[in-house]
Amino acid sequence: MNKSTDSVTTRLDRVFNPRSVAVVGDKQALGYMWLKSLSAFKGDVYSVQIDPREFSGIAELGVKNFPSLMDIPGPVDYVIAAVPRTVAPAIVKDCIKKQVGGVCFFTSGFAETGTEEGIRLQKAITDLAGEAGLLLIGPNCVGVYNPRIGLRHNPIQVYGEGGSVGFIAQSGTHATLFTIAGARHRIKFSKSVSYGNAAILDSTEYLDYLGTDNETGIIGMYIEAVKDGRRFFRSLKEIAERKPVLIWRGGESEEGARATASHTGALAQSGAVWQALIKQCGAIKVENLDEMLDTVKALLYIKPGSGTRVGLIAMSGGQSVALTDAFARAGLSVPVLTQSSYERLAGFFNIVGGSYRNPFDVSSSFLMSDNAISNMANMLDVMEQDPNIDSIVLELFTIISPFSKDLKEPDPLLDTIVEFKDRSKKPFLTIVSTAHSEPLALETRNRLTSKGIPSFPTFERGAKTLKRLVDYHRFKEGQYLN
Amino acid sequence: MTSKIITSALKSGRTVLTEVESKQLVASAGFPVVETKLAKTKDEAIEISKKLGFPVVLKIVSPDIIHKSDIGGVKLNLTSAAQVGRAYTEIIAAAKKSNKKADIHGVSVQKMAKPGVEVIMGMTKDAQFGPVLMFGLGGVFVEVLKDVAFRIVPLARRDASQMIREIKGYPLLEGYRGQEPANITALEDLLLKLSDFVDKTPQIKEMDLNPIFAYKDRAVAVDARVILESQE
Repeated sequence: MNKSTDSVTTRLDRVFNPRSVAVVGDKQALGYMWLKSLSAFKGDVYSVQIDPREFSGIAELGVKNFPSLMDIPGPVDYVIAAVPRTVAPAIVKDCIKKQVGGVCFFTSGFAETGTEEGIRLQKAITDLAGEAGLLLIGPNCVGVYNPRIGLRHNPIQVYGEGGSVGFIAQSGTHATLFTIAGARHRIKFSKSVSYGNAAILDSTEYLDYLGTDNETGIIGMYIEAVKDGRRFFRSLKEIAERKPVLIWRGGESEEGARATASHTGALAQSGAVWQALIKQCGAIKVENLDEMLDTVKALLYIKPGSGTRVGLIAMSGGQSVALTDAFARAGLSVPVLTQSSYERLAGFFNIVGGSYRNPFDVSSSFLMSDNAISNMANMLDVMEQDPNIDSIVLELFTIISPFSKDLKEPDPLLDTIVEFKDRSKKPFLTIVSTAHSEPLALETRNRLTSKGIPSFPTFERGAKTLKRLVDYHRFKEGQYLN
Repeated sequence: MTSKIITSALKSGRTVLTEVESKQLVASAGFPVVETKLAKTKDEAIEISKKLGFPVVLKIVSPDIIHKSDIGGVKLNLTSAAQVGRAYTEIIAAAKKSNKKADIHGVSVQKMAKPGVEVIMGMTKDAQFGPVLMFGLGGVFVEVLKDVAFRIVPLARRDASQMIREIKGYPLLEGYRGQEPANITALEDLLLKLSDFVDKTPQIKEMDLNPIFAYKDRAVAVDARVILESQE
């Protein structure tokens, strides 16, 4: 009776945008994590719990409790099950009877344990849900996050305002960490999902859904394995043409050698094939959570550009050398400027204690100058006007903080940078590395981030991120990538 | 032709095609391959050599011998009937010595190909993504440096172009230190043909065209190795 003629993609929309959510089995021992996560949910929240010792705790949270899903009046769009694993099949049966939109099993102890009991129970819920066409997320996961409607799986996650970033993660921890860390980087989410053991729904179904979702403009994925690789390949190829898709593949190092009789077979390790797949589809490869954060941030806040020539502005001589090395190692070039740029620079740049070939060493013309702000504006403009330069990188220091000390005070440097960022047509980013004080560096990056200026904590992260962005746009233009 | 070669190998309980069978298979699918004939006797080897024209190459043909040159089963650059006769005897003796039980079909005879830039193309089936193609430079580049690129079947023209340009040794294909450049378009065509071929021939489990000699106007496969899916 749950069998619907609608596609999974269409039916997933109800699960990602529920109007009613039921939590089965939340309890004191979990700190009522699920019900607390739903405190801001814009819709009806129900609890299902038969243990009388939990009744008062649930009532204190202002949530109505029922002895079973069947007793809830009205439809239930999304169910979160945190029950003991042996009860899981009974809950699946109730979900089918109740015709819920979908169910997420937080419950673990299934096939991931490798035990006979776990495998048997996973098969039981898979068979039941598969037969009825029930959308089952997990098991062994934290399910859906939709900040716009306050649907969360952790009380720390932000809510209220939605964004354009969608995230799909096999791991619940990665889904939680990325959405929480993302908020600090001004990354706002449309939806995210963690899908654990992928008993029924696999990464491809979620990718197809976010691919069609109008709220989602960028898709990040953390994947360990896919069930139907051919289908995943086709979906990724089609969707990556329309939206940036970032892929972080976990477990790459665990693969052993394969027994084969050809050179091709021996060399085609899974890691190499995944890398080829990502390239072939025009998706973006990232290798960890930091790279995921950096690259999503770049796609949101750095203007598109496919040129590989970078103009660098550094706060000192030593930093200018290190900055150049980092960008060159990442595969970008740091070329000389045009003659007319040098003529313009000669008019205001103090070369005693500084230099302006590219990179610029601005110690004497900025850090120790009376005309710091106007010089900075001019230097940025030289880079903007120079036809040899495709993108611009500004390093900022915290040893001598050029920003105003008090956040409430007017900040002419920040204003200058914001004004430049708004009018510049080139990719532009800042790097604020930690010198003496991590809190001060963080405060500086946050100040920039709050104004929509992308800021990175190390030269290497800034350089590699820019390279990934440039490569993405080069692929879009049909260029070859090395 | 394609299905006949496959069926007959499987019927005799083999999944590994010999050099001669592998080459017949890909030649029948339209791949440019160095003409290679099976000689079952010394006289046949001499006769075929005369027909093909010297210099020739002789190689052992046995499903039980995989690393042919390691056991002395390959003789290159034979320029006369006398040399071919001697080579035949030596190869058969070496093969019998290395493996008494080896099923020896005979010796393959082919014309020594004009040297070109050596490249390798191949296919294997990935557990998750199915047929995958590989491209690389031949010899040490593939064996030691593993300088290769992969793409998932089916390939588009762009994928073929990109994977050729992706390998570190690409400048060698453009003509390095006076060497003749390879015809990149011909290599792209071959990759697309291979993509199409493996798509249509699911009975193949893995294969190598190794080496392929790339010239300025064309490319030709000098050796081929095809492994079939076992029938269960």
